[in-house]
Amino acid sequence: MQMTDLAQVILGGVALGSIYTLMGKGLLVTYLTTRALNFGQGDFLMIGSFMAMALMLAGVPVYLMVPIVLIAMAGLGYALERVAIRPLERLPAGAASALAWILTTMGFGMLLQNTAQLVWGKSRYYSPQLFAGEKGEVMSLWGVRFYMEELLVAAIALSVVAVLYWMLFRTRWGKHVAVVSFDKGTAQLLGINVRRVVVSSYLMMAGLAGISGILAGPLTSVNSHMGIMFLLKGFAAVCIGGFSNPLGVLIAGLGFGIVEALSGFLDSSYGDVYPFLIAFVILIVRPTGLFGESHTQVR
Amino acid sequence: MKTMTRIIASVCLGFLAAGLCAAQTVKIGAVQALSGVPAIVDFGESYLQGNQLALKEYNAASPKRKIELVVYNDEANPQKAVSLVRRLVSSDRVSVVVGTASSGNVAAFAPMLQQAKIPLMAGPAISTDLTAKFIEQTPSFVFRCSMVEKYQVDAMLDWGVKNFKRIGLIHGTSGYGMFALGEIQKGMKARGAELIAIEGVAPSVTDQTPQVLNMKSAGAELVLIFNDSPELIYRAMTKTGYKPTIAGNWALSSKMILSIVGKEAIEGTVMGQALDLADPKAQEFDVKMRKEFGEKYRWPVVAALGYDGMRLVLQAVDAAGADPVAIQKALETATGFKAISGTPAVPFSASDHECLDPENVFLGVWRDGQVVKLR
Repeated sequence: MQMTDLAQVILGGVALGSIYTLMGKGLLVTYLTTRALNFGQGDFLMIGSFMAMALMLAGVPVYLMVPIVLIAMAGLGYALERVAIRPLERLPAGAASALAWILTTMGFGMLLQNTAQLVWGKSRYYSPQLFAGEKGEVMSLWGVRFYMEELLVAAIALSVVAVLYWMLFRTRWGKHVAVVSFDKGTAQLLGINVRRVVVSSYLMMAGLAGISGILAGPLTSVNSHMGIMFLLKGFAAVCIGGFSNPLGVLIAGLGFGIVEALSGFLDSSYGDVYPFLIAFVILIVRPTGLFGESHTQVR
Repeated sequence: MKTMTRIIASVCLGFLAAGLCAAQTVKIGAVQALSGVPAIVDFGESYLQGNQLALKEYNAASPKRKIELVVYNDEANPQKAVSLVRRLVSSDRVSVVVGTASSGNVAAFAPMLQQAKIPLMAGPAISTDLTAKFIEQTPSFVFRCSMVEKYQVDAMLDWGVKNFKRIGLIHGTSGYGMFALGEIQKGMKARGAELIAIEGVAPSVTDQTPQVLNMKSAGAELVLIFNDSPELIYRAMTKTGYKPTIAGNWALSSKMILSIVGKEAIEGTVMGQALDLADPKAQEFDVKMRKEFGEKYRWPVVAALGYDGMRLVLQAVDAAGADPVAIQKALETATGFKAISGTPAVPFSASDHECLDPENVFLGVWRDGQVVKLR
């Protein structure tokens, strides 16, 4: 095994791992405010990918495409909160109503998947590159060959994660999220507009999924079923990282991507099994995740 | 005057009834993968397009029989395929069934049709033993008009072993890919050769860089690709700067792959074929398909086999009517068939229910955006 090959593989793993991290963050942010994960988030990513691809193919420049996609995704995030989450508050308390969000978010995702099939059909597509002038633009650094796209995707995804981290820990909004996460009643007593915080968390989730979709399209292929694997891997990142630790999700997401790439390199036949197997073992040993808090979660 | 009108009306009704009886309606069931895994959908839609064109032409020629085509989508799901075929047999009461893309689905519902004595024209499923499993049963109701995996693997290995010293394989880890792995390993052994590297690709893998790097390290000159996402290999090869000869199953001849990877990247890729587009008949078919389906038509060889398969079924129905047993007999004894694909004039016999024979399968290669016969 040559070191350049290893570096090449790890770089690919970091690019995909950074997208898993973004997906994990999206799951985390709605969990903090409503104790609900959007199981249709993979389909949000898929819609983001399709929209980005369609706009770029229509000649819309990237700097215009990104805000258009994000506005559309915010609309979807709002719709999800309005039709699939908010009505559940009226259900009588109990185990069934506590888990009803699984069905409603999955149902919303299936709706998106079927809509995508109606509009774009069932075949898979390759999205145009976001930054490179040509599809096959390859860079070489100390013998390590990589697509410029991969490096930029990783850089952008990690920057978005840094911004989210800053927002959660350094802004008033982040403090409101922490209080809502702790107890909604207390948040209301403190004068926090809980509804606004909840809605903003769904807009944030949709935005993160949209960015993931824009970045994932050129790295993989775009099709109506592409969301599920990103959702599963993002979910694994949140489980390993811990539901209370955004930094843990970052480490777990990147780790998942790198382990996935390395296991594909070392044993390609079962390459996709190892990362999930490792995640499984970690959760047996430490059910709250590597960086989760073992006591009652505050954030 | 009133009596006269009644007489005329009665005569007209009589003629109408007689006409309807003469044009007996025969129901044909089509089960095809029209949603689900995109690569399989590409097969399903293309084969069905061929079926539909054949039926349209049959209806335009004032035929003896009136045909009703009942189309169901099995979503490449074996349970769904079985339940749809059960519905075709018991509720729709079809006389013959055509389909489907997934070999596993055909293997799941073929015994049911054999038991119900209803002919099946399988396609575009390619698993080697689909008809062989039933051929000992007399009569067998399972026919196929599609590529056969062993035929394309044999053609590829004959060429590969003769022209390359170091051959590697990247296979899928799903049912099809594992089956192809077994066939290729057997074929290599029979030719006194061995694969120098074998890499697997799970269905969820989107970056094949690790597999390509391992092929590069092993020094493979010819890389065989038998997996569900063959287009992904090209991106990884460009990235790693590795340019071996690529050969694989007939999925590599889809225009969908061409549109994804581009003309330059796919140039020189070799695959199994059963349609020679240099043949004037095939060219005429190609023009008709373009006119009929426009941009949705993207796969000449699969559509041509769907077209030939349906024409064989219609020819049998035309001769035998709605009786499934008579249709089976008519299929088995069909002669003078003028195929668009490599299918011979006498496609079937009691001991052979494959429309293609090994000598009808050849290797195609991408040259300047077209699949041509490899010389």
